[in-house]
Amino acid sequence: MLEQIARVLCWLSVGEIAARSGLLPLPAPVIGLILLYAELAIRGKLPDDLGVLADRLLQFLGMLFVPAGVGVLAHLHVLKTEALPILAAIVGGTAITLFLTMVIANWLCVAIAKRREPDAGQLEGAVRDVNT
Amino acid sequence: MSTLSQLSLTWVSLADKPVLETGATVFAFLAATRIARLGGNHPLLNPTLLAIILISLVLEATRIPYETYLHGADVIHFMLGPAVVLLAVPLFRQRAVIRASARLIAVALAVGLPVGVLSAVGIAWALGANSQTILSLAPKSVTAGIAVGISEQIGGLQTLTIVLVIMTGITGAVLGPMIARLARIEDPRVVGLAMGIASHGIGTARALQINETAGAFSGLAMGLNGVLTAILLPVVCSVLGFAR
Repeated sequence: MLEQIARVLCWLSVGEIAARSGLLPLPAPVIGLILLYAELAIRGKLPDDLGVLADRLLQFLGMLFVPAGVGVLAHLHVLKTEALPILAAIVGGTAITLFLTMVIANWLCVAIAKRREPDAGQLEGAVRDVNT
Repeated sequence: MSTLSQLSLTWVSLADKPVLETGATVFAFLAATRIARLGGNHPLLNPTLLAIILISLVLEATRIPYETYLHGADVIHFMLGPAVVLLAVPLFRQRAVIRASARLIAVALAVGLPVGVLSAVGIAWALGANSQTILSLAPKSVTAGIAVGISEQIGGLQTLTIVLVIMTGITGAVLGPMIARLARIEDPRVVGLAMGIASHGIGTARALQINETAGAFSGLAMGLNGVLTAILLPVVCSVLGFAR
């Protein structure tokens, strides 16, 4: 398990160095994510311990946002002056984004599924033709 | 030495260590998770939101300044970095599924990324928000770590962006399953993608509660949306003459 913690911190550190030196215009954890994925893809196998570590930590991912979330208290006065545009943009914008993304992506799924069905029908027809 | 001064000395020495703040955060989240479970994990009973309210109420009641709390809870905030790195694990586990759904992922991002930025910027602009607020809103759907960098690059307020990102995350985590039910969408890949694109890590945390497929697609969408927005948004802003 300690080995896996070291692995995660190692890639995070590499990401930190790459980000701070201006090598990559990406946040350090994202660089770390890409590097860990690349390592796993090259190995072709997920170490059991790493899977357990990820499951444990990601289970309470929501808790990790709590300290920053409490920071909302510090900005209440700033938020109050532009409450309407901010709330409308966040609630309206997020609802529109969720809805359009879901509907269009789902429409694509249905379209792909439908295109596959006639293919299967044609194949069956071809098989029948061969048989007769 | 009186008991009272002993107590206050204990308090001062404890204030140097992040034990109380970290403990309070874990306890609040645990309590929030229990409350959410009692309410059948209803989206409005988001554990992150409940824990933030609980901590805020405690800080208000005890008159502990939020800076003191934030300083102490840094240990938990730090874990966000390793957690983001570990999102590679669900991605790797789902690699066969993700490879099979490459077109779906590309379409979801092609819709969700521009709609996410433009809808927020458009609504705020139409309702007369000032330009700094609008620029701070632009990366609202991106995971906090990346969003802060984008906000700085395009001339928004970093601190405001953090708050807006969290508000968006909670909104997406609450609305995501509701909108999925409303639009009658049951495919966990579609729900996960939309929630990751619209509401980053908080949405991903919620998507992980649905199932691992939704969580993996949400994490993947969050990562790709973050990276692509970080690359695209500063370019678009400089073309439109917004950049510093």
